Amino acid sequence: MRLDAKIPAGPLAEKWDRHRFELKLVNPANKRKFEIIVVGTGLAGGSASASLAELGYNVKTFCIQDSPRRAHSIAAQGGINASKNYQNDGDSDWRLFYDTVKGGDFRAREANVYRLAQLSGNIIDQCVAQGVPFAREYGGQLANRSFGGAQVSRTFYARGQTGQQLLLGAYSALSRQVAAGKVTMYPRREMLDVVVADGQARGIIVRNLVTGEIEKYAADAVILASGGYANVFFLSTNAMASNVTAAYRAYKKGACFANPCFTQIHPTCIPVHGTYQSKLTLMSESLRNDGRVWVPKKPGDKRSPSQIPESERDYYLENKYPSFGNLVPRDVASRNAKEQCDIGKGVGETGLAVYLDFADAIKRDGKEVIAKKYGNLFQMYEKITADNPYETPMMIYPAVHYTMGGLWVDYNLMSTIDGLFVLGEANFSDHGANRLGASALMQGLADGYFIIPYTIGGYLAGNAKKKVTTEHPAFNESLAQIDSQVKRLLSIKGKRTVDDFHRQLGNIMWEYCGMSRNDAGLEKARELIRSLRGEFWENVIVPGSGSDFNQSLERAGRVADFLEFGELMVIDALSRRESCGGHFNEGYQTEDNEAMRDDENFCHVSAWEYTGYEKEPLLNREPLVFENVKLTQRSYK
Amino acid sequence: MNWLITTFASSIGKKLMMAVTGLSFCAFLTAHLIGNLTLYAGRDAFNSYAEHLHSLGPLITVAETGLLFFGIIHVLTGLFLFFQNIAARPARYEVNKNAGGRTIGSATMPYTGLILIAFITFHLINFHFIDKTGTTIFQIVRDAFAKPSYIAIYVMAVVTAAFHVSHGLWSAFQTLGINHPKYMPLIRKAGIAFSILIGIGFGFIPVFISLTT
Amino acid sequence: MTKTLNLTLKVWRQKGQNSKGSFETYNAKGISSDMSFLEMIDVINEQLTIDGIEPIAFDHDCREGICGMCGTVVNGRPHGPEKGTTLCQLHMRHFSDGDTIVVEPWRSRAFKVIKDLVVDRSALDKIIQAGGYISVNTGGAPDANAILVSQETAEKAMDAAACIGCGACVAACPNASAMLFTSAKISQLALLPQGKPEAAKRAMEMVRTMDGLGFGNCTNERECEAECPKEISIVNIARMNREFFKAAFLS
Repeated sequence: MRLDAKIPAGPLAEKWDRHRFELKLVNPANKRKFEIIVVGTGLAGGSASASLAELGYNVKTFCIQDSPRRAHSIAAQGGINASKNYQNDGDSDWRLFYDTVKGGDFRAREANVYRLAQLSGNIIDQCVAQGVPFAREYGGQLANRSFGGAQVSRTFYARGQTGQQLLLGAYSALSRQVAAGKVTMYPRREMLDVVVADGQARGIIVRNLVTGEIEKYAADAVILASGGYANVFFLSTNAMASNVTAAYRAYKKGACFANPCFTQIHPTCIPVHGTYQSKLTLMSESLRNDGRVWVPKKPGDKRSPSQIPESERDYYLENKYPSFGNLVPRDVASRNAKEQCDIGKGVGETGLAVYLDFADAIKRDGKEVIAKKYGNLFQMYEKITADNPYETPMMIYPAVHYTMGGLWVDYNLMSTIDGLFVLGEANFSDHGANRLGASALMQGLADGYFIIPYTIGGYLAGNAKKKVTTEHPAFNESLAQIDSQVKRLLSIKGKRTVDDFHRQLGNIMWEYCGMSRNDAGLEKARELIRSLRGEFWENVIVPGSGSDFNQSLERAGRVADFLEFGELMVIDALSRRESCGGHFNEGYQTEDNEAMRDDENFCHVSAWEYTGYEKEPLLNREPLVFENVKLTQRSYK
Repeated sequence: MNWLITTFASSIGKKLMMAVTGLSFCAFLTAHLIGNLTLYAGRDAFNSYAEHLHSLGPLITVAETGLLFFGIIHVLTGLFLFFQNIAARPARYEVNKNAGGRTIGSATMPYTGLILIAFITFHLINFHFIDKTGTTIFQIVRDAFAKPSYIAIYVMAVVTAAFHVSHGLWSAFQTLGINHPKYMPLIRKAGIAFSILIGIGFGFIPVFISLTT
Repeated sequence: MTKTLNLTLKVWRQKGQNSKGSFETYNAKGISSDMSFLEMIDVINEQLTIDGIEPIAFDHDCREGICGMCGTVVNGRPHGPEKGTTLCQLHMRHFSDGDTIVVEPWRSRAFKVIKDLVVDRSALDKIIQAGGYISVNTGGAPDANAILVSQETAEKAMDAAACIGCGACVAACPNASAMLFTSAKISQLALLPQGKPEAAKRAMEMVRTMDGLGFGNCTNERECEAECPKEISIVNIARMNREFFKAAFLS
């Protein structure tokens, strides 16, 4: 397959403007003749649904939760970046663009990232107009804080609940369109297939999670905004229902999956404490603004933190990276934490944790100031661990948090299936091999509010389409296939639960395809996944029936896809013979253990094409061309 | 007028009616209590207070009609809310526990309310709709409180009223939207103080009368 | 310190919306005090699955206290006994060995039970659809700093906006009223200058919709604010009342 990113010509800063001019428009009267399906109601899906409905399109929106307000964007804590330069500290679109490209270890598309930076300011304007209660200065202006990977203060926030507030903003806009009759909302539905009719995405198949019924919906275009796949690791900071199914089934229908091995491990999470654990909790990266990361200098030092004198503490990030200190990008911070624990300097019962200490900040600013900034995070930490972070340092450890990889999309956010658009974390486009903090919210909203409304118009206006209804044979074919999979899962009646398989898959992924990888481990992981998948289809037990509310059945379908997808991740990791960002192959590192890229051979996007069950996927490469930035070894020293 | 009906038919409108009528009863109770305090000064003081009151003539009729009207609104709205609230939770909980918001006063509002209507009827029959020829109001009061059963009924009724008011007063402020973090704690305390005052002020009268005669 | 607990659970089981439900008793053995309440149910469910019994259906998603998906009544308390805590953030260290725990779904005429502990809370979405937004289309918003909002106002708006829409206020209210939920949204938007132009219409429409959905009336029992996992204050209900009166009598 030849991948055409459709990047507009011209100077970087003018590409988007020019492209918007060149895109065809849909006549306002014609917009109401088009049906658009949106899957997912996070920042990307919610904002896209609302914006498209405002333009006049008829939108059908689907979500897996009981209400569109619960999508996992809600859990983002720290903030959202925008190059407003309100702080007069030298920020600009160019700087945000550069920071993002560099933070992504030069594996993202220049044109996409620049557009993201350009749109970042509009997002803040839009959200404020919607009534998002961002933090304010005394004078009434918006407040900013700094975040990892940047030396300017450009992050807008609403306490530690920025994602929640932005999502509720998008949800309110969506609710307004539901009331206006332009959006029909389908909650508690799980998308199980994209229907491709005559080469175009023309609908989806969903399971009604309440009645168990398999339903068909047709449209003129389909938008996937179904989030990331971090739950392939079982333990991650993602919500329990976050899954790869929608994206993976699209992949099976012909959408290329790009860079699946680019996963982000977030450095500041609450450490794992037991085998029964169902998920990990992230503590906002903003904590690194004031918290100092340290471990004891002596390996195996089991004293309580208060008994370790200053001279015997190793503030390893500050020592190693004097100019960024505790604010190095996430992948760097995570890998260093692992490194410290690997040499026995880890703390806590398991030895898999490092300290994040606020004592100095409290001494400097007072408890009240710290409480105002991080109060709810401290409270959350105390609830989970029963430790008070005002008095004793927090213990943190990296955890899987975000996935930069996703379905391949062109500049218009369209996948390799005509008419199938992919937004937000579900696509691969803007973060390269590593995402900077406070950039996910920015991307989700840029895609939904400001990109898709234009590009989908270009698609719909460009090709006159004949109407397809759910009576088209492609729908019934797909429905029959889904139906038989449901029946098969219920009929196995084996001995092991779905979660049991999922947990084992997670262990394999974390062990061999996690924070650092090597060829032998990856090869082994592939074998292990294959055999686990084999066992799954013979020995899984899914109680209940397919014709009512059945959470075991929901999970079984998702885990079945993770068991295939995990292998694709490993294949991708094996094929990328370099280290970059979230993908760290131990065979490719510099003398001081930093990731070593191979720009000569791997400066490309790996887009995988499905060729059949258990068959080798086909690798398509989209070369990344950097005309505006110089590829350098990332240095945060 | 349509808007007025819609407003009062809404949940907040009904709350408003309960609050305004309830507050007016609190005002009435205050005036009633101040008047009754003359009982402590003896027969002549009380009789002359009664005479002064009656000399107000038509004003009294207006006030009485107003109170009756408000009373009907308060009772009917209260009953309506009571049944509506029961219907809002058709399946009850197996275990009921409070998180610390409810008080005895707030939890018993409908019941104390019903007791109070019964009592007010009883009270009016005793002292209002009674043949007052050839006797004084003080005499009537004294005769009534000579019976221990009357003392018991009155004291209990007044305590019931105190509980009702302990929730009702601050609640009326909350309903009217008068809730400010600075003042609300004060209003809540004032509500409790007022209910204690009502309880003691009215409650001690029958005891005092029976002791002094 | 981590401890191990053995507990008895009485859980509401109901097959579907129209079936009759009843309590079933389960023994939860070897529960770690570091587990969350939901992880404890996970453990029971794994065992039930292996025993060939359908596991307990319950809503949950983010498990970090922000999505508002989880919530059941635990021993008569929505989200359990801890203040300001969602069920997913309630840890078993707050229970003692040998405890009997009764677990029931939210109970309200407006929330129908879908299965076991899962209820339909779409009524809350309908309230928001009635006016819980600012009518602004995408694009054309003025520069964010063109609208000044004092820090105090922003903080108050944020206090109200922290609502996660879990429905615990309805579950906790002796009258199953949704006033705290509705008032939180009305308050947030009434406080901010952006929300002022539509304030009157919003208050009227949202209250009217809420009334029509079968929720009870507020009698100022304050159970909602005591149980709210985000500790949203009834100051917001007072503000909603003011907004409603302003809208009804002055607009």
